[in-house]
Amino acid sequence: MIESLVVPFQYDYMVKAMWVSALIGGVCGLLSCFVTLKGWSLMGDALSHAVVPGVTIAYLLGAPFALGAFLSGLLAAVGMGFVKARTSLREDAVIGVVFTTFFALGVLLISLFPAGLSLRTIVFGNMLGISDSDVFQLVIISAMTLLVLALKWKDLVLFCFDPNQARTLGLNPTILHFTLLTLLAATAVASMQTVGACLVVATLVTPGATAYLLTDRFNRMLGIAGAIGVSTGFLGAYASYYLDGSTGGCIVVLQTLLFLVAFVLAPRHGLLASRTKRRLALAGGAA
Amino acid sequence: MKPTNTPSAALDVSVEDVTVTYNNGTVAIHDATFRLSGGVICALVGVNGSGKSTLFKAIMGFLEPAKGRVRVGGETIRVAQKRNWVAYVPQAEEVDWSFPVNVWDVVLMGRYGYMNFLRMAGAEDKRIAEESLRRVQMWDFRDRQIGELSGGQKKRVFLARALAQQGRVILLDEPFTGVDVKTEAAIITLLRELRDSGHIILVSTHDLGSVPEFCDQAVIINRTVLAFGSIADVFTEANLTRAFGGVLRHFRFDESTVQKHDGRAVTVLSDEERPLVFGKDGHLEFSQRTGREAIVESRSEGEDDQ
Repeated sequence: MIESLVVPFQYDYMVKAMWVSALIGGVCGLLSCFVTLKGWSLMGDALSHAVVPGVTIAYLLGAPFALGAFLSGLLAAVGMGFVKARTSLREDAVIGVVFTTFFALGVLLISLFPAGLSLRTIVFGNMLGISDSDVFQLVIISAMTLLVLALKWKDLVLFCFDPNQARTLGLNPTILHFTLLTLLAATAVASMQTVGACLVVATLVTPGATAYLLTDRFNRMLGIAGAIGVSTGFLGAYASYYLDGSTGGCIVVLQTLLFLVAFVLAPRHGLLASRTKRRLALAGGAA
Repeated sequence: MKPTNTPSAALDVSVEDVTVTYNNGTVAIHDATFRLSGGVICALVGVNGSGKSTLFKAIMGFLEPAKGRVRVGGETIRVAQKRNWVAYVPQAEEVDWSFPVNVWDVVLMGRYGYMNFLRMAGAEDKRIAEESLRRVQMWDFRDRQIGELSGGQKKRVFLARALAQQGRVILLDEPFTGVDVKTEAAIITLLRELRDSGHIILVSTHDLGSVPEFCDQAVIINRTVLAFGSIADVFTEANLTRAFGGVLRHFRFDESTVQKHDGRAVTVLSDEERPLVFGKDGHLEFSQRTGREAIVESRSEGEDDQ
């Protein structure tokens, strides 16, 4: 029994998949707190799709995929900002138009130059077949994101909570805005490897949304979301060995299960808690 | 290294020929000019769409004027903000009350400008934050998530944040919206204390009735500065009618059911709901006599009996 549980640890590719998924899961988990509180969930989805043409072009040119992805992600973000500033269209419409355009361009490029790169890998991720050079890029991205968050998380929280106060204190909200956007693009690129472009948004939203239900303090929210990201990343990769299924699918399903548990059982914001509160209020009113 | 903030330094806020235009070319406010020097409580008064909030944002540096400039203590807004001279109390609607921060977190945000690169609160920051919370009687609520507070308590927390920032200029946006009467009185007392210690307090409000109660000066806005000066000089019916136009409700009481009319009529101006007016023996007054002859008659008899 025990022996069969440690089987995945005997394969190098599994060990690599588990720790890389845990690392990226953790980074995405931390960032998901900012994404959910800033209301950028749709933005995260958009960026994760918008990086696809960048990845394709980078592969075709033999450049690091992270660089290509990052540039096309930022280009999409700037494009959305530009269209939004010049029209009176609502933000969701602008995001919808821009990110599908980028994604379509990516799909087209892959179909035109099929050599060496499969659409499947990009859309659904391929953690088990990840190359060492890709791992190296992911570690660099994660380390830089963690460093920026460690140094500036309080400024970023203030920016999410009250950008006007940030400005009143002499901070520059535009710089903070682009810092957060850059981190989001970078982690979207990283997460694409583990769960694929389609599911990136889950790793960038679900841990934060779950943690939000469990606490009223931001620092605890960061801790909880980070822990959810690390554990689901690790366990998702681990479980995918036995299920012989998609790593990304396992990770996101695990995160969703945790979210559902919090949704029902959270001590203050859960379904049961609010039902009890309502009953108590009614009983109190009747007495 | 630390920003200087000497309490003795007299500051002034000068708004010079400020014109702000939007992206689509609309001019929100033009050639606005006025100058405040401390300590003073000044109201910024105007209807929605008068450019009041635009001017307020320009003074806080959230918007860049197309023409003209704003100076605080002779410096640009950016410099003034870096020195923590300007503190800001937002409107209740602008705050995300479900954000996972508690009262203590919010007040410490007022100290970020004094903290190091990592925003670690020092003993001095904590002392000042505590003092600020105690000053608005919110110390006992320091562990509450901000959404769990009442309207008045919420406002006091953000006032405490402005106090903790120790700005010499404090800008308040609609400070009495959603606030109970007791808190309103407490806030007014606090603003007066700040004024007396040399602060410049600029209050953006549409609550006309409260302005003469606690403000020394007023800036009346309608696309530009219509009038600026002491309350007694600028809060005239003519100025307010010009600024508020059709929005303002007029109640002239020279035709009212108020008894013993002697020509010294009263006019009530209200920008929101119609006011309820009661006479001196506590009965309801109507602004028109027409159709109320019976009431006027019965009340006259009552008075004759006495």
